[in-house]
Amino acid sequence: MNWTGLKYQLKALRRDKLCILTFLLPIFAGIAVNLMGDMDFSSAAEPSFGIVRGGLTEEMEDWLQTNGAVQIYDSREELEEAVKEPSTQTIGVLSDGEGMRTVRSGDEFHMYAVIADRLPALYEQRDWTSQYDLKVLPAGGGNDIMKSLLIVIIMAAAMFMGCTFNAMNILSEKEDGIEYINEILPMTRGQYVKQKIAIGFVGGVFSTVITALICMRVTAAQVLPLLLLVVLSAFTAALAGLFIARFAGGLMVGIVYIKIIMILFLAPPILFYMLVLPDSIWYGLSYLFPSSAAFYGLMGLMEGQTDVVREAAVLAGHGGVWLAVYILMGKIKSGN
Amino acid sequence: MRGSFVALLKKDFRLCVSGGFFLLALGSLILYSCYINLVYAKLDQELFPVYRYDPGKAGGERIAGVTDVGSLNELEEACADGYSVGLHINGDSVFGGKTEIMMVSCGIERLDHIREAYARSLLFQEDKTDALGQAEIIGVNTREMKNRREMTAEVLFFELVAVGFLGVASMLFKEKQMGVIRVHAILPVSRIQFILSKLTLLLSSDLLFAAVLTVVNLGMPEGLKALPGVLLQAGILSLVMALVGFLCAELLPDFKQFSLIYLVIAVFITTPVFLSVQAGVEMEWMRFHPMYHLFTAMKNAYFQVLSAGGLYYGACAAAIILLFLAAGWGLGREMKKEG
Repeated sequence: MNWTGLKYQLKALRRDKLCILTFLLPIFAGIAVNLMGDMDFSSAAEPSFGIVRGGLTEEMEDWLQTNGAVQIYDSREELEEAVKEPSTQTIGVLSDGEGMRTVRSGDEFHMYAVIADRLPALYEQRDWTSQYDLKVLPAGGGNDIMKSLLIVIIMAAAMFMGCTFNAMNILSEKEDGIEYINEILPMTRGQYVKQKIAIGFVGGVFSTVITALICMRVTAAQVLPLLLLVVLSAFTAALAGLFIARFAGGLMVGIVYIKIIMILFLAPPILFYMLVLPDSIWYGLSYLFPSSAAFYGLMGLMEGQTDVVREAAVLAGHGGVWLAVYILMGKIKSGN
Repeated sequence: MRGSFVALLKKDFRLCVSGGFFLLALGSLILYSCYINLVYAKLDQELFPVYRYDPGKAGGERIAGVTDVGSLNELEEACADGYSVGLHINGDSVFGGKTEIMMVSCGIERLDHIREAYARSLLFQEDKTDALGQAEIIGVNTREMKNRREMTAEVLFFELVAVGFLGVASMLFKEKQMGVIRVHAILPVSRIQFILSKLTLLLSSDLLFAAVLTVVNLGMPEGLKALPGVLLQAGILSLVMALVGFLCAELLPDFKQFSLIYLVIAVFITTPVFLSVQAGVEMEWMRFHPMYHLFTAMKNAYFQVLSAGGLYYGACAAAIILLFLAAGWGLGREMKKEG
């Protein structure tokens, strides 16, 4: 490793406000999430019921309150509007003599449709608790899945910053003609690549670790697995940045590539995590995205696990394979 | 006068083509449509699975929606995810021995309650079929159609605010770099024409994009029905974003600085909007966020709900006029500086 070269790279980095900001962005986002304590994430996961003011008996209202969020509307029309509102899954609850009846919009998720259909029966059976024992074990880890999801998304984005940084940095050098200067400098391509990976990597690790310090409560046993995940995914991201820089002609195209890769990096793991059961083939296939491994690993850590062997292995595999591909491509290019 | 406008238009069109502007739009169109049709349209949240361990076969035959397992261990394992619920049936009959409902808390108390209530209802259900369809359905959309409308609205908004904006700005920066603005300062073409020709081109390409996206993802009859409203909102959004892009290109020295602003716009301006509208996260200050209103109007257009009033359209018109004047002023400033 050529340390003087790295020193100059860091010196150039100091003047590049954009790059510094790229690394600081996830940290800001992490702080923002921490500050937004008043954001009620759990409301997104529990059923929400809409009722008309004075339309239900007190007992019914109390029972609904224990089973979900209750929103009170002034008239039947307002209630129906809220039920039809597409972005919510609100179930309308009306009185029906002794019991209750429900209205739903018909476009809700299966879960809420079933709850709406069964709600009158559930209410009727509310006192049958003496006929069985209830055993509720405490939740394993973080209690707010939406919040931990958001934190993990920010962490994954922080890891990704190494990619953004590398791609932008190399591309702007390309546009400024530094690439040509590099060709006459006594520096091999390998050295250049090493330096660039190092910068993106160090920046990615730095920003992820600080974000983690801000957002995550990590136990001593989790420090090493977390670091392992961060290091491996930051390396993969830095490598991805090199790929973008190679394929994009200029900064403008590069930004578009970065965006596409960012979407591909962040969207599938979230979707797979939310929708696919961990044993299925699809879940296995999702490991083809390096970000999935990082994402699942981080999610596991948030839930209190410490075992990230599989995720780390997948990430290491990705890093190795893509590095090999990159070196091979460089050889082919210089061979021509 | 008209001749020069057409010439300007032609030049801008060629610039767009050479910049890969249309190719990018086509690529995004395909990507988004695949995502909506193959993934998002099928998006659903299943009810928590219920597992039953019934060693004495006391609970009777299979219950619809309940999976039977062979041992207590299996039952405990199946319930460990904090979502599934287990029924452990003891004794001679459901009412005889003490049956147990077991689960790992999901961390949200009210959801735990409803999980318990649902499991209970399965335990005491008399006919063992999955009796559904008791709630009155008042909406017009199916789940799939709702997903399609919702995601198409989001994608179009994202495309116009983030991607389209980037395209506009990159085109303008390219012209600035090439010195086109300097040349225009000495040409007998008015500043208004210069801005108008770009706006016309961008507006029409955005409208075309919106129309194709809508029809492809909503299907023929529904897409056409929603189209007029969608095109109106897309037009407003496109004009606003193009003019903001114009201003940025005039005021910022280079593309790199612009990408900073862009990052801020893409992350900090659109994220809360998505969080609020998509996930239903409540934020008090949301109604002061202009993007929130633009997005809501777009979404309502897709769901064919009329909600935006005269105030909204007045504000949009005012914003567009102000931005237009500002862009004209910025262009004059730029020309003076260059010339």
